[in-house]
Amino acid sequence: MEELQMKNILLACSAGMSTSLLVGKMKEVAQAKGIEVNIWAVSQDKAMKEIENADVLLIGPQMRFLKKKFSKVAEEVGIPLEVIDTMAYGRLDGEAVLNRALELIGN
Amino acid sequence: MENNKFMNFLESFLLPIADKLNNNRYLTSLRDGFMIALPLIIFGSIFVVIANLPFLDKVISAEALAAYQNALGPASAATLSLMGLFVIVGIGYKLTEHYKGEAIYGGVIALASVLIMTPQVLDGVSGVIPTASLGAQGMFLGIFTAFISAELYRFFVKKEWTIKMPPGVPSAVAKSFSALVPVTLTLTAFLIIRILFSYTTFETVQNFIYTVIQGPLTVLGSGLPATIVAVLLIQVFWFFGLHGQIIVNSVFDPIWYTLNEQNLAAFQAGTELPNIITKQFIDSFLVGMGGSGMTLAVIILIFIIGKSRQLKELAKLGTPSGIFNVNEPIIFGLPIILNPLVVIPWLIAPVVVTLTTYFAMATGLVPPPAGIIVPWTTPPILNGFLATGNAWQGGVLQAFNLFVVMIIWWPFLRIMDKKYYETEQIEK
Repeated sequence: MEELQMKNILLACSAGMSTSLLVGKMKEVAQAKGIEVNIWAVSQDKAMKEIENADVLLIGPQMRFLKKKFSKVAEEVGIPLEVIDTMAYGRLDGEAVLNRALELIGN
Repeated sequence: MENNKFMNFLESFLLPIADKLNNNRYLTSLRDGFMIALPLIIFGSIFVVIANLPFLDKVISAEALAAYQNALGPASAATLSLMGLFVIVGIGYKLTEHYKGEAIYGGVIALASVLIMTPQVLDGVSGVIPTASLGAQGMFLGIFTAFISAELYRFFVKKEWTIKMPPGVPSAVAKSFSALVPVTLTLTAFLIIRILFSYTTFETVQNFIYTVIQGPLTVLGSGLPATIVAVLLIQVFWFFGLHGQIIVNSVFDPIWYTLNEQNLAAFQAGTELPNIITKQFIDSFLVGMGGSGMTLAVIILIFIIGKSRQLKELAKLGTPSGIFNVNEPIIFGLPIILNPLVVIPWLIAPVVVTLTTYFAMATGLVPPPAGIIVPWTTPPILNGFLATGNAWQGGVLQAFNLFVVMIIWWPFLRIMDKKYYETEQIEK
């Protein structure tokens, strides 16, 4: 029997403010679809500590210069990371970002 | 097409700058160190606001007011006025954490190093630490000391000039011993620096840093030209979708906070405020009106003139966060980034608002920020009122500025709206 594991999606931006808007939308979509996920947003200086608990790290596009720095740690932990698409970010498109996150975890 | 090439060139130029600035360990620990101090600073600010409620002097007697203010005084005296102290610990902590060392030691060593260099005498009384040297005045010395002490500590730890405990000794005991040598050597280095400076004409390290670095830098930072440059830089970074404040603030914050604290000291003493440009000038009157670029004005304008479904939807989406000065939905959704249609109002409006705010304060129409740090998520109008030390003029100025921004944006937003509207009609 396959064990169902909770997927952990971590978002990071400067203060964790604007990404938390997106987190709200993503949770709505997840709940409506019955997907079991744990999604949370942190400020960039906390991201390195929280990454241990994540299955994927998504960075707000305004902080995309963090990608290089975060990539090293993400590699160590062995999780994928990506900068969130700017259009999806602007529209707070929770569905698109959630789908992309699950896709990244799946690969 | 040409336009696109130019944009790509600029982006390929700005991204590495953002990357360098944001990944520089000193700048990031500086910024994160300030972040650690922020809750304390805001706590102190809240009590300055409460202690100086408007009309209170008309309701209660002068003695009662003095007693009331004295009772609340320690709240800000222990936090806001000693801001440098927390920033120093924060920077030492964050830099040591970056090196994966015992972060708390990095913090307390930085503090001890600063205290070693601080003259512990005031008006002939020895055995006291002048709080002024731990506030704005000591900010720069504190920052440099935190950097150097964390580096020295790391160096000595790395050299393994530590006392090693035999196995079987509890790890907490071993830890306290392993820190002993690096701590001793680092603090001794600062003691030597202090002694050396006592033989110079500066007498103290404080005087040296203040005269040579902090003084000139804060004078430069309090001027209009440097402020306009900083504001334009923030806007340009954001135009390329990069977080402008976090990049620019990491360089400017020490200056802006120092100016802020000078104003606070004057505000509490009831004397004339020395600076117009302060941290709050930038945060409340430029950035804190719906987020960078004062996009709350754009949202309001869409509600007034918007016809296209796309913009109206966006305004609805952006309103709740916009009121609290978070504007990523507008920046990425309008979109503002890389959009040649809005580059003019995007760059011009903040500069115009810088000028209107500066002159309103320089002419005395509106009191300058009182040095109270208002959380940047405080909604406009209330934000301006609090920042200027409970002056209604501050709120009015923000409303006026929002109006100015709307006028500047109006023709450009109309073109954009029309474009979207026409496309929507065709699609129908």
